[in-house]
Amino acid sequence: MNNSLTRIACFVEKYNFTDPREEKALENFKHAAEVSGHEFNFLFRENISEIPKYNAVFIRATTDPLYTAYVVSRTASELGLKVVDDPESIKICGNKIHQYALFERYDIPHIPTIFINKEDLHHKRLLAIFQTLGKPVVIKAPYTSFSRYVEKAACETSFRDVAKRFFRKSDILAVQQFMPTSFDWRVGVLNGEVLYVCKYMIPKGKWKHGAKRRGKPTFVWGRTLALKRENAPQALKDLALRACEVIGHGLYGVDIKEVNGKYVVVEVNDNPSIYAGYEDLRNKDLYGKIIEYLAD
Amino acid sequence: MLVVSNIDLTTKLPTMKPAAFLKSSIKEATLNLNNDYRYMKTGYYVSMHAEILGNPVIPSSGNIIDANRTPIMLLKASRNGIPVLPYLVTGSVKQIMATFSFPVVVFAVNPFSYDGYKTAKNRSGLYRAVKSLGMNYKFAVCTQPLIGRMISFKSFFGKCELDDSLKKISEKVYSIFKIPICKLHVQQTEGNAYLCGFQPVKKDELLPSDLKVISEEISQIMNHGEQLID
Repeated sequence: MNNSLTRIACFVEKYNFTDPREEKALENFKHAAEVSGHEFNFLFRENISEIPKYNAVFIRATTDPLYTAYVVSRTASELGLKVVDDPESIKICGNKIHQYALFERYDIPHIPTIFINKEDLHHKRLLAIFQTLGKPVVIKAPYTSFSRYVEKAACETSFRDVAKRFFRKSDILAVQQFMPTSFDWRVGVLNGEVLYVCKYMIPKGKWKHGAKRRGKPTFVWGRTLALKRENAPQALKDLALRACEVIGHGLYGVDIKEVNGKYVVVEVNDNPSIYAGYEDLRNKDLYGKIIEYLAD
Repeated sequence: MLVVSNIDLTTKLPTMKPAAFLKSSIKEATLNLNNDYRYMKTGYYVSMHAEILGNPVIPSSGNIIDANRTPIMLLKASRNGIPVLPYLVTGSVKQIMATFSFPVVVFAVNPFSYDGYKTAKNRSGLYRAVKSLGMNYKFAVCTQPLIGRMISFKSFFGKCELDDSLKKISEKVYSIFKIPICKLHVQQTEGNAYLCGFQPVKKDELLPSDLKVISEEISQIMNHGEQLID
């Protein structure tokens, strides 16, 4: 471990402090940095111009190439600072079309996926998609995060309805086979090493970890069951590491489904959620490991 | 070299439509010609697809994102010798007023606005600009002092028919970002020009004379086999 002091800026937005579990996790990061002799300061958007004063930047605000967090990441990277999440990871993980195209190219087992553009919204093509993937299908906008912008469609009408909404922002969408499971594996990976493993349970009667309550704007989230990383299936961890390898060497949360004893990647997320008492429950050292990576 | 274009060119050079390219696996150096290279638009996906196929491509998907995010564009431009004015990324009007005196020019840094800018001559004008471009203070904005007159012009392969200082900026921006078709916002003072902003060109803004310039450039690139190295 590098013993010299590293100045770490943690880029956050106000919403990162609204959930006490996330707030506690941020405190844990700060504590882990300080016990190792590093400086750890929260950096808000008003202080972006202070980035050059730091040696490393750790982004906890939501990332997307169109958000301020990307400006922070790209600025830090351009200035030669160590940054998690790095701009390339944000670019690939923030756009699921990019990600699935890479999985296709590098033969990473993933949910069967078809890309569609606006010209594909005609009867013959939709029929062919339903024939290939079965009914219902899952339509995914490339900018999906926190289970949003992922919807099911079982008929042409709902397919067109969902696709038209998602096409407002992206000219290409992903359509996937519907694979209902009682939970999704979540494998936290940092620089080619498994940090933590959890099961993200799907709420009863729903098909996503986070699902909207009927008729209400609020979300209901499934439970998170944490495992010691050494107790998780090796094949699961191997697939998670393979999927991350085609993206980069940053911090990722890999979602994997287990279907008939086989693992398939759902998606790889940069900027994965880390909530105190949840992802860290069986792997408390994850804070120290992330800080160590930033300070290295 | 493969030319993928959503624009009807005046040359007889063979081009491929973006939709056809996106469904193909052609492994060839690619020139992606599009009036709109914004992130998640077809122009972006063509470059991304070419990169995934392993093709050298102009422009790269990374440059597309960088050019369209004003603070990153300004940072990269200044590090490569293009004159830019100081800029501040923030959502706070107070901070802007503490940093710059009026007038100022404000650009959006949000996922939805991609064209134009607003100028503010006083506090209330600045509040209006930040509220509007920051989408009700939800997103940050990028502010620069306004010391000259704002000029917006189209640039094709780094070329424009304007005075030398603007020509120089246009060429330099192309050499850094390699975006063949774009619109640049520049501040001009006596003797100096400063790059301020970048935006896509609307299809109906492309005049027949512009199409001719673009087509001639492509013919030259095809004849001289310009290296597609980014």
